[in-house]
Amino acid sequence: MYMKNFKTVIGKTSLIFAVSLLLFWSLGPIYWSFVTSITPPNDLVSSELHLWPETVSFEHYGKLFGATSISQGNEVQSIWPQFSKAFANSLVTSIGATLLTVLIAAFGAYAFVRFTFPGRDILFYVVVATMAIPAYTVMIPLYRLMISLSLINTHTGVIFIYISAFLPLALWLMRSVYQAIPISLEEAAYLDGAGKTYTLMRIVLPLAAPGLIAAAILTFLNAWGQFMVPLVFSPTLATKPLTVLIPEFVTRNYIDYGLMNAAGIVAIAPPIILVVFLNKYLVSGLMAGSGK
Amino acid sequence: MAKLEISNLTKNYGKVEVIKGVDLTVEDGEFVSLIGSSGCGKSTLLRMIAGLEDITSGSISIDGRVINDVEPKDRDIAMVFQNYALYPHLTVAENMGFSLHLRGVPKNEAKIAVEKVAETLGLTPYLDRAPKALSGGQRQRVAMGRAIVRNPRIFLFDEPLSNLDAKLRVQMRLEIKALQKRLGTTSIYVTHDQVEALTMSDRLVLLNGGQVEQIGTPMEVYKKPANIFVASFIGSPAMNLFDGILHRDVEQTFVTVHGNKILVPNCPKLTNGTKVKLGIRPEHLKYAATDSGNNIINMKVSMTETTGAETYAYGHFGDEAMTIKLNGEDAIKSGDKISLTVKTNLLHVFDYVTGIRINN
Ligand SMILES: Nc1ncnc2c1ncn2[C@@H]1O[C@H](COP(=O)(O)OP(=O)(O)OP(=O)(O)O)[C@@H](O)[C@H]1O
Ligand SMILES: [Mg+2]
Repeated sequence: MYMKNFKTVIGKTSLIFAVSLLLFWSLGPIYWSFVTSITPPNDLVSSELHLWPETVSFEHYGKLFGATSISQGNEVQSIWPQFSKAFANSLVTSIGATLLTVLIAAFGAYAFVRFTFPGRDILFYVVVATMAIPAYTVMIPLYRLMISLSLINTHTGVIFIYISAFLPLALWLMRSVYQAIPISLEEAAYLDGAGKTYTLMRIVLPLAAPGLIAAAILTFLNAWGQFMVPLVFSPTLATKPLTVLIPEFVTRNYIDYGLMNAAGIVAIAPPIILVVFLNKYLVSGLMAGSGK
Repeated sequence: MAKLEISNLTKNYGKVEVIKGVDLTVEDGEFVSLIGSSGCGKSTLLRMIAGLEDITSGSISIDGRVINDVEPKDRDIAMVFQNYALYPHLTVAENMGFSLHLRGVPKNEAKIAVEKVAETLGLTPYLDRAPKALSGGQRQRVAMGRAIVRNPRIFLFDEPLSNLDAKLRVQMRLEIKALQKRLGTTSIYVTHDQVEALTMSDRLVLLNGGQVEQIGTPMEVYKKPANIFVASFIGSPAMNLFDGILHRDVEQTFVTVHGNKILVPNCPKLTNGTKVKLGIRPEHLKYAATDSGNNIINMKVSMTETTGAETYAYGHFGDEAMTIKLNGEDAIKSGDKISLTVKTNLLHVFDYVTGIRINN
């Protein structure tokens, strides 16, 4: 009895410790970034470390959103036009890539699970194995390919690259989602008079919704955070996303930490909103109740 | 109206032959059970009828029309799955009305049909619930209801009661039977529970290794098992089988087992001195008044079991194991040596090699 209590106390304590460590690890940098973004520029260079700024200032956000702003005592042009364009670019490429990837994965993975064709499993593993290829190795051939297709510096081009990069993961995920759906549900639908497409749309996809949403979240987060691909393939502001724009706030003689962090905080808003909204639909246990 | 005819049906999975030439005719309105041990191909045969498995050779026809290549959705056959296969994201009413909706039945008509069936199955209070909010027995009813609402040409059941507890199983068995009689829909019922098969069916089909061993009414199958497989499969406890030698002279036919002379029904085809298997059902052995003479089995009891109503005794006759089924009241204990007798007309004689029934 005593031993048991002792064990649970130890277990609880170590769990709490592990969770705190994890939270600190993942939220710490975000907090740091947030604090930096609301610290007045002059305090940023002070040597003291503050967990919360002595004076809160929204100057950096003003610089980001305002029409004009003050930088190092001079009135300068606002960076809002650049920032908003990059923000839009990020949204367009990430949303486009997410929608298409999830759409293709939804149907493709179904084919991999329910249709039998020669080489099915080999083909699937080949597709999944492409995830193991380091991006660096394909950059140059990809660049030449994109040039020949005139897709450099276009949203379409970036979206294509994202799809090819993130589809295997989505396919893999969706395949296991479909494998978990009892085939008898589909068979029951066929016997009830439903065709293959109808069954897929009305029975299979609704049941696979949590998987589709998980795939969408993963793809969106991956796409939103991409740096290297747009760095190469989105050279101008026409397609340049936030991830590439923000580091450019580093100038030759001045690193605007405050501005970078303010921009960073704004940039993490869409993924957070997406996860919070879609998480609602990520209800588990949707399958419960089909069988005995 | 639906008469199902299956002729010379086979099914291969790659090189493995799972169904080996099955012939079966199910008359309109008939209730036929497919029974056999696990892996004998019951589900496969049922799924071939449903159109969920393709046919390697042979044919399946409904009312004279071959349906080998007809899609499942166009066969107008309803199936109750072992795991029920209810659509988890639809309510009970939507589950039951799914097929009507697909067929374009107007909404209010479909609603009335669903409510009517729900009424007969006692599902009215649950129509707006999700399947996951139902008990196993209620889910089973929804699965039944989904099949009934359609008014299909044929019902197929794949062990629909195997997930229910014993009491509910008996109740549902009676209900399914009554429903089927009332609706008059041709039904094929897969089970490995012989009590279900015997009590519910007009006829049984005994399958073994993808082949039909016997087709017959419950009584035929019990009284005249076509071979040793059927004899030991049907009946509980299983039939006792003893090695013996057949003798016949002018006035009688008898089998000698461990020196005892047991008179058997006429076995016209056999010659004197043939080795046979003698089958005696445990429930047909009764206490004998004497311990010698014709039709006497001397049993040495090694173990007994009682359910209250019935007592089973396990033991040996010579070196062969045997079982008897007695009244619960009968006092019997291990170590007893008892003499039993059996009526000649209740005996079964099988060919020693082929296992085929010999006597009439
Ligand atoms: N897809 C398949 N590939 C190869 N063999 C299969 C396949 N499906 C079934 N079988 C084999 O076919 C045989 C018959 O299977 P089936 O499911 O019809 O048995 P069953 O009589 O319904 O058994 P149970 O009572 O256990 O449900 C089994 O031996 C099984 O191993
Ligand atoms: Mg089966």
